[in-house]
Amino acid sequence: MKITLRFFARFGELLGKDRVVDVPEDMSLADLIRDAASENSEGYGSIFDGQGKFRDFVILMRNGKRVSAASADRTTLAEGDEVAVFPPVAGG
Amino acid sequence: MQMLSQNERERYSRQIMLFGEEGQERLKEATIFIAGAGGLGSPISIYLAVAGVGRIVLVDKDTVERTNLNRQILHYDRDIGRKKTASAEEKLQAFNPDIAVEVIETTIDETNVHDLVGDADGIVDAMDNFPTRYLLNRTALEKKIPLFHGAIRGLYGQATTVLPGKTACLQCTFPHPPPREVFPVVGITPGFIGMVQATEVVKYLVGTGELLANRLLLWDGERAVVEEVALEQNPSCEVCGGRNIYGRNTP
Repeated sequence: MKITLRFFARFGELLGKDRVVDVPEDMSLADLIRDAASENSEGYGSIFDGQGKFRDFVILMRNGKRVSAASADRTTLAEGDEVAVFPPVAGG
Repeated sequence: MQMLSQNERERYSRQIMLFGEEGQERLKEATIFIAGAGGLGSPISIYLAVAGVGRIVLVDKDTVERTNLNRQILHYDRDIGRKKTASAEEKLQAFNPDIAVEVIETTIDETNVHDLVGDADGIVDAMDNFPTRYLLNRTALEKKIPLFHGAIRGLYGQATTVLPGKTACLQCTFPHPPPREVFPVVGITPGFIGMVQATEVVKYLVGTGELLANRLLLWDGERAVVEEVALEQNPSCEVCGGRNIYGRNTP
């Protein structure tokens, strides 16, 4: 099934902004992001910590709704879903 | 209501076409607290001053440095070494002598934030760090006044308006701050996000339009795309969740 995955801001600079990926039916939201981020070690390191857990400031959205990092491993996907990953910015 | 003077009617004539004299009087009666006279605080305070917000309280602790000048448009080359508050007061008052500008040179912390904000009608977040933003968020919740949030990095920015009791608070939306860093920035980005915040302030005070309530605006300047993300209150938010601060129990 096809999922649109979007990385915002710094994540997008490191990993590319938008992509459509074809993934197996049982893939979790966390694995989708993990797979895509693995292409670039700096990009991966900006989203995941040394244990492969989401860094605590990372914001995950599925179809415009917030998904907590804690539930991302058991969040399944459906054809046409849009997943967004972004870091808050802090400058002023 | 405070009546407008003839000068004011003339000065604001083009926006009185939008808001009416009554809207302009609301701006005149308002006090807005702006935390920070830097990249965001500069364009926000300038535009709120020229729009006729009656009283602007601006807080900053820093001195103008040369590295500020690519974005902090309140401060000129000749101001290097001067307190940002002094520089800001001079410029804002020159832009509009009909308003009151109060500047306070201090670091916002938990011991003074309540008094600094005083009886302001809204808080503008023009800070460069999340710990102070969280303090402003708490103060806005306590005082039941809106917090106009904005933040930037590089060509990216975000903005939302927190309405206590009605929307997600800043802590609901960003429970964990990104790591501290010396962030890259070009002045056009805080200019853009600052204008989003200033627009929110004006709409809120005049009572017109639709606010960024429970909506996070994301600006991607590199691609010139504005995105919007829906926000919702987090019932287990440690700051606003489940606390009976609005006269009712949140679930």
